[in-house]
Amino acid sequence: MNLRITLLFLLGLTVAPLSQAQIKHIEMRVEGMT
Amino acid sequence: MKQHLGRQSGVQSVDVSLIDGKVEIVPKEDGSIDPPHLLKAVYDSGVSVAEMDVTAQGKVVRDSSGNLALNVSPNQSFLISPNDSSKELEPLANNQATVTIRGQLYKKPEGKKKTKPDTSAPLKLLILEIQRKD
Repeated sequence: MNLRITLLFLLGLTVAPLSQAQIKHIEMRVEGMT
Repeated sequence: MKQHLGRQSGVQSVDVSLIDGKVEIVPKEDGSIDPPHLLKAVYDSGVSVAEMDVTAQGKVVRDSSGNLALNVSPNQSFLISPNDSSKELEPLANNQATVTIRGQLYKKPEGKKKTKPDTSAPLKLLILEIQRKD
């Protein structure tokens, strides 16, 4: 049981920072648009 | 173009301003958006991208060649072009800190009227502003 909790905790530590990382917004200036 | 971009992978919403020639894209949170693919999609819809800016959150890492990169998802990172702002990020490399930056990923070469973006080479991120360091 303790092993499962420890593994879940370690998994959380690994996944949480990655889930924060992402592209939030993209803006493009374009030419030739009518 | 709005519909075409809206169908691309990882795109949540697209807003096009005809007056100032700007296209704003809000990505989905699944991290599947691919900026080089968007450049190509815009070109395929018949217009030319003059500039592409991104706001991104990620970790600063140093690759095996010693270059700084921003890791924005487990399988996506952008090499950082050296400038004054990038020097501020150097101490954060590989220390698990998360930064939010605004940067330029693409700029059309000067003097060319309509250019197909070169998506074969990796896009480099020119840091314009560091918005947050955690």
